[in-house]
Amino acid sequence: MYNYRMVTDDLYWVGADEHRLALFENIHPLYHGVSYNAYVLLDEKTVLFDTADWAVGRQFIANVKAVLNGRPLDYLVINHVEPDHAASIEEILLRWPKVKIITTPKAVTLLNQFGFGLDPNQIEEVKEGDTKSFGKHTVAFVYAPMVHWPEAMVTFDTTNGVLFSADAFGSFRSLDGKLFADEFDFDREWIDDARRYYTNIVGKYGPQVVALLNKAASVVGLDNIKYLCPLHGPVWRKDLGYIIDKYTHWATYEPEEKGVMIVYASMYGNTEAAAEVLAAKLTARGVTNTRLYDVSSTHVSYLISDLFKYSHLVLASVTYNLGIFPPMHNFLMDMKALNLQKRTVAIMGSGSWAPRSGALMKEEIESLKNMTVLDEEMTVTSSLKADNESEIDALADAIAASIKGESK
Amino acid sequence: MLYQTTQEHEELRAKVREFAETEVKPIAFMLDQNNQFPTEVVKKMGELGLMGLPYEKEYGGAGADALSYAIAVEELARVDGGVGVILSAHTSLGTYPIYAFGNEEQKKKYLPDLCSGKKVGAFGLTEPNAGSDAGGTETTAEDMGDHYLLNGEKIFITNGGQADTYVVFAVTTPGIGTRGISALIVEKGWEGFTFEEHYDKMGIRSSATCQLNFNNVKVPKENLLGKEGQGFKIAMATLDGGRIGIAAQALGIAQGAYEAAVEYSKERVQFGKPICQQQNVAFKIADMATKLRCARFLVYSAAELKQAHAPYGMESAMAKQYASDIALEVTNDALQIFGGCGYIKGMEVERFYRDAKITTIYEGTNEIQRVVIASHILGKAAKDTSAAPAQQKGPETGARKRLILKDGTAQEKVETLVANLKKDGHDFTVGIPMDTPITQAERVVSAGQGIGEKKNMKLIENLAKAAGAAVGSSRPVAETLKYVPINRYVGMSGQKFKGNLYIACGISGAIQHLKGIKDASCIVAINTNPNAKIFKNCDYGIVGDVMEILPLLTAALDTGEKQPAPPMVKMKRMVPKKVYQPRKLYVCNGCGHEYDPMQGDPENEVKPGTAFKDLPEGWTCPHCGEPAEAFIEIEA
Repeated sequence: MYNYRMVTDDLYWVGADEHRLALFENIHPLYHGVSYNAYVLLDEKTVLFDTADWAVGRQFIANVKAVLNGRPLDYLVINHVEPDHAASIEEILLRWPKVKIITTPKAVTLLNQFGFGLDPNQIEEVKEGDTKSFGKHTVAFVYAPMVHWPEAMVTFDTTNGVLFSADAFGSFRSLDGKLFADEFDFDREWIDDARRYYTNIVGKYGPQVVALLNKAASVVGLDNIKYLCPLHGPVWRKDLGYIIDKYTHWATYEPEEKGVMIVYASMYGNTEAAAEVLAAKLTARGVTNTRLYDVSSTHVSYLISDLFKYSHLVLASVTYNLGIFPPMHNFLMDMKALNLQKRTVAIMGSGSWAPRSGALMKEEIESLKNMTVLDEEMTVTSSLKADNESEIDALADAIAASIKGESK
Repeated sequence: MLYQTTQEHEELRAKVREFAETEVKPIAFMLDQNNQFPTEVVKKMGELGLMGLPYEKEYGGAGADALSYAIAVEELARVDGGVGVILSAHTSLGTYPIYAFGNEEQKKKYLPDLCSGKKVGAFGLTEPNAGSDAGGTETTAEDMGDHYLLNGEKIFITNGGQADTYVVFAVTTPGIGTRGISALIVEKGWEGFTFEEHYDKMGIRSSATCQLNFNNVKVPKENLLGKEGQGFKIAMATLDGGRIGIAAQALGIAQGAYEAAVEYSKERVQFGKPICQQQNVAFKIADMATKLRCARFLVYSAAELKQAHAPYGMESAMAKQYASDIALEVTNDALQIFGGCGYIKGMEVERFYRDAKITTIYEGTNEIQRVVIASHILGKAAKDTSAAPAQQKGPETGARKRLILKDGTAQEKVETLVANLKKDGHDFTVGIPMDTPITQAERVVSAGQGIGEKKNMKLIENLAKAAGAAVGSSRPVAETLKYVPINRYVGMSGQKFKGNLYIACGISGAIQHLKGIKDASCIVAINTNPNAKIFKNCDYGIVGDVMEILPLLTAALDTGEKQPAPPMVKMKRMVPKKVYQPRKLYVCNGCGHEYDPMQGDPENEVKPGTAFKDLPEGWTCPHCGEPAEAFIEIEA
C-alpha cells in the first residue's frame, strides 16, 4: 500500500519511515526512528529526486509507483550517493531502465565504486550552476562539496522555490504520518534531534556549510527559497529563518545559548559528587542554565549535540591508566574530529595517586581552535573535601563571571 | 698556477710572525699557566691593523683579503693557539655577522671600533641544549615593542667577558625550530648581561672563554641583525667563514709544533747522531710536513674561494676538518720526537699538544664538518620530519616574572623585593598562623638545605611571622634533617602549595619541589647560587646569603602583630602573552582535510612553513587527490 504526501503542486514526498534501526550509520543511537525522504516531480517529464535506504525499499517503490500512476520515470536526480539514500537506485533502474540519471561526476565515480554499474549512456553529468527544464519546472544544480560528502549537490527548482537540500537541514526522527515542520512543535520535539543529526554528521564541515549558505544567498537568494526538502526529517515551508539561523550558529561554531554543560567521568561517584557540588555552586551564583552528564552512560552523540548548543563546558574526569578516563577521552577525540570551536572550558581533574587527567584534558582542549580554558583549574585527590572548597568556589566564580561576561 | 702566496701575503706573514715572536712568545707560558687573557697583546694587534684584516677600509678595516686574515691567525697560533683564536673569534664570529648582515647604521656604529681593535667581538650561539643542534636554542628574545627582552644563557663563548660586542642568537618565535631564531647585537655592560668565571680549560688558556647570562636584558630593536627569523641562516653563514679561521689556527698550532720538533731533532743526539738522522724520526718529520702542506693548501684555497665570492662552504669544512685532524697528529708526533722532555710543562710542544685538541671540537665538531661536506656531495639528508620542532619546555613552575636581584646591597635588594610584593597586592598587615596546613596557606616561608644549622630555623620562623606566613620546607629538611614535621614539606610527593606567596629560602629547586609550588601565584627565591634552578622558576629572586637576607627581609615586612587574614582571594599569577596568531588554514572540498602551513604536508614532502600559495605545482590533497583549487580558505 502506498503512503505518499503532496508537498506542493506537482511535487510529492515518496519517502518512508524507519523505526527498527537502532544505530544510524551504525554509530548514533535512534530512539524515535528516522525518515528517508525522496521526492517525485510530475511535470512534462517525471523526475525522482534521490532514492531511499534499502530497509524501506518496498514502501519507497510503492510510493513512487503510486505517484507516477503508470507514467514512465524519465529522470532520477541524485543529490547525494550515501547508501541511506542511494541504496534503492538499482531497483529504480530495474523497473524503469530508460530513466536518465542526473548527478555530479564525482557521484558517478562513487556510485560505480559502490557497485551500481551505471550505463554511461544513461548518465547526464551536471556542473555547478547548470540548469535543466522538465517542462514547467526548471531546476538549477549547486555543488555542495563536503556537506558532508564530496559528491553532494543541492537542486533548486526556480519555478516554485523548492530546494532539494540533500542532507543539509536533515534530522533524526521519523515523520509518522506528518511531513512539514509546522505540523510539529519543532522547537520542543525536534530541535534536539535535528541538532544531534547536524553536529555529529555534518559538524566537522562548518566552513563548507557556510560556503553553501553563502552560495544559496548569492546564487538563489534566500528569500526565493520557499520549501526546504531535505533527505531526512520534515520539510520546511514556514519560518525557514528559524532553521537557517540554527545552521548559521552550528556551522560557525557559535553557541546558541549561554549555559554550562558539565560532563564528568567518575568511577566510584567521587568525581560525580564534585561535579554535583560545582553545579550547585553555579546555581547559587545564579547560573541555572546547566546540564550535567555522566560521560559513561551518555552516548557521545548527545554530548556533542549539547556542546554545540551551550557556551561553556566543564570537564571533570578521573585519571585512568595514567591518562584520561576512556569515555571522556573518546568525547574529547570526537570534539576534535567534529572541529568544535569557540567554547569556554573549565577543567577539573581527579585521581588518587597521580592525577594527570586535568593537565591532559587541558592539552586536548587547547589543541582545538579558538578555545578558552579558564585559569582556575582544580584537581580532586580521590574525593572532594572541605579543604578544596575555596578552589571549587573559585572555579564556580570564574565560570559564573565568564557566563555573565565579566572579565575576572 | 703555482699555488703560491703573493709577496704582500708573505710580507704580512713576516710582520705577524715578528710580532708573535717578540710580543707573544715570551709570555705564552705565563698566559697558559695563569689562564690569562693578553689584554696588552690584543691592543697591540689592533694597532698593528690585525683586528679588521678582511674588512673594507671605509669601516676601519685593512682592506686585505681572507687569505691575509688566515695567515695572521696561522702565524699567531704558530706561537700561541689561544692568541690565534682570539683573533679568529673576533674577526670571523664577532665582526663578520655585523659586516655581512648588518644594516648601514649598524655597520657604521660597530665596525670601526671592532676593526681597529678598540673593541673586541664575540659570538653567542652555543647553549647547554644547543650544541651541534642550534634548533635546541632556549635563549629567548621577547618582543616588547621597542625592544627585545633577552633571557637565557650561552656557554663556551670565546672572548666572553673580554669582548665588548656580542652577536647573540635567541628565539623570537617559539615552537617553530630554527626558523624562529634571530640574531641580536648585545653590548657588554647592559643591565642583566653578566658573565660567569672563565672556564679552566685544557688548552688555548690565553683565550678567555666563559658563560654569558642574560636576565631580562633589554636589546633595542635596532640591534636586530637582518630580519627576525634569519638568525639560524646568519649563524650558519658566519660559521662557514669561521671555519677558515679555526682551520688556520689548527694549521698554525701544528706548524709551531712541527718547527719545534724539527729543531729539536737536529739537536738531540742519541746513538751518536742527531735523532733526525734516524729514519724513524726522519720519516715522521716527512709525514708531518706533508700533512701540513696538504692542510695549508686546503685552508688557503678555502680563503681564496671566500674572497672570490665563490661557493666555499664545503671547502672550508674540509679545511677545518682536515687541518684540525692533522693538528692532533702533528702535535702528537712532535711531542713524541721530544720524548720525555716534551711532557714537561713549559715546553711549547706540551702546550701545542693541548691547544690542538679544541680545534676538532669548536665551531662545528669535525663530525658536523663531515655532515656538511657529505651534504654538499649527496644533498641534504632527508629531515626527520616526524620530529616536529623540539618542544621548548619552559620552567617547571610555568611562566614567571624572573626578576632576579643580583646587584646592589642586600638592603637595597630587600627593599626592591618588598616594594614589588606590595605593588602586586600582598597585604602584610594581615597574616595566617604559622602552622596553617600548607595546602590551605595563603603564604608560606620555606626552608631548604641552604639554611644550614637547625638554629637558623629561627630566621625562617621570624620571617614567617613577619610575612604572615606558614612555615614549610623542602623534602630533605623535613625528612633527613627533621627540622620540621614531615607533613610540612612541599613537593610533588608532599604538600602542594597553591596560595599567593611562596618564599623559598636556601632552596635550590629540585624538580620534585618545583612541582609542589607550580600553582603558587608568586614565588620568591633567596639563594647564594645565582644558577640555582629556583631562580628560573621564581617571580622575584635575591642572590644572597639567607643569613644576611632573611633578617633584613623580616625587618622590612614586620608590621607588629598581624591582623587575622580574611579568606584567601587567589591572586592572578603572571600569564605570559599567548603567542597565538590567527592564521589561514585551507580545507579540502574533496575530503575535509585541513592544510596547515605550519605543518606542511609531510606525505608530499612539503616542508612545515610552506604557505598555501607556495605549494609545488601539481600538488594535490594527500588524502583524496583533489587539486589545490578545490581548497577553501578559512581563518583559525
